Amino acid sequence: MVLAFPALLGLLVFNYYPIIQSLLYSFFDLDFTTDWLNAPFIGFQNYATVMASDQFWYTFLFTTGFTVVAVTLDISLGMLFALSTFYVPKGMRGILRAFIIVPWAIPKVIQASMWRWMLNSDVGPIGDILVRIGLVDEPPLFLAERVLAMGSIVAAYTWKGASIAAFFLMGGLALIPGEVKESAIVDGAGPLRRFFSISLPIVMPTVFVALLYRSQDALRVFDVVYGLTGGGPGTSTDTLSSFAYNAYFRFAQFGRASTYAVVTFILVGAVGTFYISRVRRNFSFRD
Amino acid sequence: MNKKQRAVQHKILSVLIVTVIGVWCLAPLAWIFITSVKPMGTEYRIPVEYWPSEPTLDNYRTVLGERFTIQRSILNSAIVSTGSVIGTLTMATLSAYAIARLKFRYRIHTLYAMQIAGMIPPIVVIAPTFVMMRALGLLRTYWAMILPNMVYALPLSSFLIASYFANVPFELEDAAKIDGAGTLKTIFRIVLPIAAPGIFSAGVLAFLGSWGEFMLANTVTIGSPAVETVPVAIQSLSRAFNLQWSWVAAGTVVTIMPIIIAVLVFQRVVVTGLSAGGVK
Repeated sequence: MVLAFPALLGLLVFNYYPIIQSLLYSFFDLDFTTDWLNAPFIGFQNYATVMASDQFWYTFLFTTGFTVVAVTLDISLGMLFALSTFYVPKGMRGILRAFIIVPWAIPKVIQASMWRWMLNSDVGPIGDILVRIGLVDEPPLFLAERVLAMGSIVAAYTWKGASIAAFFLMGGLALIPGEVKESAIVDGAGPLRRFFSISLPIVMPTVFVALLYRSQDALRVFDVVYGLTGGGPGTSTDTLSSFAYNAYFRFAQFGRASTYAVVTFILVGAVGTFYISRVRRNFSFRD
Repeated sequence: MNKKQRAVQHKILSVLIVTVIGVWCLAPLAWIFITSVKPMGTEYRIPVEYWPSEPTLDNYRTVLGERFTIQRSILNSAIVSTGSVIGTLTMATLSAYAIARLKFRYRIHTLYAMQIAGMIPPIVVIAPTFVMMRALGLLRTYWAMILPNMVYALPLSSFLIASYFANVPFELEDAAKIDGAGTLKTIFRIVLPIAAPGIFSAGVLAFLGSWGEFMLANTVTIGSPAVETVPVAIQSLSRAFNLQWSWVAAGTVVTIMPIIIAVLVFQRVVVTGLSAGGVK
């Protein structure tokens, strides 16, 4: 118990206390410089105001919609990557894994600024290539048009997310016994058939865990939005986290911002509860 | 189709797959590199140049020069990450030992407290943490980043290390105790060496985590280049020099190179840690 004490103290100071504090902030009419105990206590007024605003529901739907789309892509691409590392001959496996791990090394906010340049509508290579192959006449305004900006965020986010998912899934795929695969080949099952009727059912638990794990990350997404579109155009690509961040540190509305933060916490917490119940058996160290 | 044809087909398809995935993963990096060697001002030339007619290293000279604080930000990141890792590993090793080896009443609660903390969104803790750091007078100092970061990395680190501890046979420890070694001595002599790979892997991941951390660093450094870490510095650079892309690109290349190399070197360790979060 004494041994765990420093860690628990740390968690208390930098994780648990701030959550309670944020929750308390959300019940006050609080500005940046105000001492919260002296600010007017307004109960659920912040929540009522926020829930009545279109902005909140828009941001809420964008965040959850983003999560569904981005996580689906993360897992699908990640699965393709992971399967590829098993498909290619041994000699190429190392280089393939090295490629896949590179995006993981890049800090998220730098990842966002790299994509901002890729998607630049004047001199970004993606727009230019689309024009050159004749798909569009003019480079699309990736970051200035609402729907395109949403897609851009998904793309930039998935760039790294797919890699993370891939390494997760490689672990699951590695557990499939070689004999199972061989006997399927002998039985004449094609590659697609083999994937859907043999590999997928075996790795399904891993896929599910990866899904929950990535969803938690996507629901609290901040860096990619902040660095890529800054929530723009307008606030149309703001997520709950990036909207709350601006409300805190740009508009100095601590009370209002805290309600967004608390909602984010509830969403992530709901997914997290499933996640923990799934991976719980990993925790049985000594019983 | 005979065996030979099939092998050739397999090889061609494999090369194709590796190329496509390689392009996807490396294209944004390639693009900033290309931009970084374009002579200042030519990065806006239309049509888009995929390789400059006169590549130059001038942008690197500029961003590494006196007007910029790129080197400083790398040093800052190194200090913050190293400090955090030392703190994380100390706390994580102790608590992991308790979780994996000792019987105490709140063991399972400790474990859950850790794992729940691991999923807390940064946005919920950022404002109170900022207020706390302001009250402690730690804004614009390394401590404002080191202290929270060493806690943020705890859940994964403790879990990783605990799963290594769990594999040390109890008999080994009991034998040491019979020989008269105290608890601490047993930990240092017997258990720690066996768990070393787990501790190392946890350390690498914690280092990378705090190296890439942005929200907290951005909030507590408040535009002070003396303490800005790499992610914050690159973000401010690209805001300040929105029109001098090739400078920003050069700065980005310089700051991400060390970490890419580190990740490739420690690939195996990183992967073990990454998959420990959910697989099994």
